[in-house]
Amino acid sequence: MKTVKSFVAMVKASLKMFMRNKGTIVFSLLLPMVMLSVFGFLSSNSGPAIRLAITNHSTTEMAAEFEKELVQVGAFSIETLSEAEAADALGKGHVDLHVIVPERFGEMKDGRPVPEQIETRFNNGKPQGAQIANLVISQIVNSLDRKFTGNAPMLSIKTTGVTVNDLGYFDFVLPGILAMTIMQLGIFSVAFSFVAWKLNGALRRIQATPIHPFQFVLAQAVVRLIVVIMTATVLVGFGAWFFDFHMMGSYIDFALVCIIGALIFLGVGFSIAGWAREETQVAPVANLVQLPLLLLSGIFFPAEVFPKWLQSITNFLPLTYVVDAMRKIANEGTSLWELPGDLLGMCVWMAVTYTIAVKLFRWE
Amino acid sequence: MSSTIVLQVENLVKTYDNGVEAVKGVSFHVKRGEVFGILGPNGAGKTTTLEMIEGLRPITSGTIILDGINAVQHPYKIKERIGIQLQSSSFFQNLRLNELIEMFAALYGCKVDPLKLLDDVGLKDKARAMVKELSGGQKQRFSIATTLVNNPVVVFLDEPTTGLDPQARRNLWELIGQIRERGTTVVLTTHYMDEAQSLCDRIAIMDDGKIVALDSPGQLIRQLLARGFTPRTEVHAATLEDVFLDLTGKTLRD
Repeated sequence: MKTVKSFVAMVKASLKMFMRNKGTIVFSLLLPMVMLSVFGFLSSNSGPAIRLAITNHSTTEMAAEFEKELVQVGAFSIETLSEAEAADALGKGHVDLHVIVPERFGEMKDGRPVPEQIETRFNNGKPQGAQIANLVISQIVNSLDRKFTGNAPMLSIKTTGVTVNDLGYFDFVLPGILAMTIMQLGIFSVAFSFVAWKLNGALRRIQATPIHPFQFVLAQAVVRLIVVIMTATVLVGFGAWFFDFHMMGSYIDFALVCIIGALIFLGVGFSIAGWAREETQVAPVANLVQLPLLLLSGIFFPAEVFPKWLQSITNFLPLTYVVDAMRKIANEGTSLWELPGDLLGMCVWMAVTYTIAVKLFRWE
Repeated sequence: MSSTIVLQVENLVKTYDNGVEAVKGVSFHVKRGEVFGILGPNGAGKTTTLEMIEGLRPITSGTIILDGINAVQHPYKIKERIGIQLQSSSFFQNLRLNELIEMFAALYGCKVDPLKLLDDVGLKDKARAMVKELSGGQKQRFSIATTLVNNPVVVFLDEPTTGLDPQARRNLWELIGQIRERGTTVVLTTHYMDEAQSLCDRIAIMDDGKIVALDSPGQLIRQLLARGFTPRTEVHAATLEDVFLDLTGKTLRD
């Protein structure tokens, strides 16, 4: 009971210390939020793929119907512009295709539309979007033609929409940034403060009390885990609220992966803290560990872009297991227990880092 | 346990892995309620001796009985009963004095009134300050305050006045006197002979890992004079420090 009370007091005091350190708050919350925002805006701006400008000179029912059908095509973003404005926008590359509906389009004569042509202009430099748009437009025109002439189509396509997970780059990158933040929090927050405490004698002062030193280390780990869970909650909430992040799987499984990941990198932090004899040794070694992981673990882009031989290494990195498990849970709704490979990988890394930490750790 | 001897050290030896013998068979005892000083030049083994008693450094051989408890077998029981001021201990940044006192009390499973304790060491108005904002003397007084949270039987102070100005030093002497009046035994190390002379009931002089003399300061001086010693300079009725304090006053400069 007494031990529990001392432990709680230690966690409380350490949490206070941690929260008053502006640097860690910036690195564990603000910076990842800024990164998320940047990636969020980047991925939402790519939005509707094909930009159309429409100039409608006709007032007929068919012309109105044509415009309505165009607007319904999800892949288009449509602006109504005058011919001159549209030509300018096309020239500047703000628009992919300019659609001009002539004045007599859709006028009826003897129950049939008068022959007319819809004109489309596109930028020769970027034809891809325009070609697709042209196909869609001719499809609409054909169906209007049939509708207004009453001819039944002989051949047609039946399409059924299937709801798939509407996942974008943001859904991919959020677990990546969260995993990165957890890694940095684990390594840096522990390594820097322990080396400082080791050097200035604060650790020795704790040893002079009846508390077992291991309890102090544990309290520090608990504080970091609390901060990790807080960070994960804020980042996932932030992503969901502002950038439509999808969490397909269980929040508990996701949180578990965050905690396991944090434990692995706390082990790395304790190893560095135990080994370093000066504060200046911490940053280079910590970066030597974290930078390759950052680049090779598929944080910002999928690791599939790497050559096969490199993947056979990167697949076994600790951060790869963490971020993969996070993505499988968040993006695909997989449960943690369906990911035995990632679980095993994480457990092995945890065993490795703590073996090293115990070997290297010194109190003075 | 209220025998008159609170700490008994017998044949304490510390040999480091590299073969250096830091402490070569030290024996002494400390009486309950006294101020006991360990004097000696740098590297004499003072700090190592203290750290072995405090349970901070494993001993090579010997016995240590503190308050009736075998310190070698039960280091954690000992730590509960003593207060330790380390030679150069820093505290955690980003915590206020009152928070640090509360935390240390909790580590001992005790509850204290931080303001009362800080008042005792003259730091009540600094309760909401951080350690880095304190002067050298204030830091030492705060450091001593943290050793008192568990109402210890013995307080160990390792060079408590090193690096302080004469005013702060005198002020700390008063504080140590107050601790003694509470009935707490004080064991301290120092380089300053005037300090030992005015503070300590008994002193042990260590050199090269051994105790070369152990008695009350007055007795040691009498023994020396009895051996026919004459001081090199003529003895003044006052010292330079008296002049300094007369000119600059005894008010604390923190």
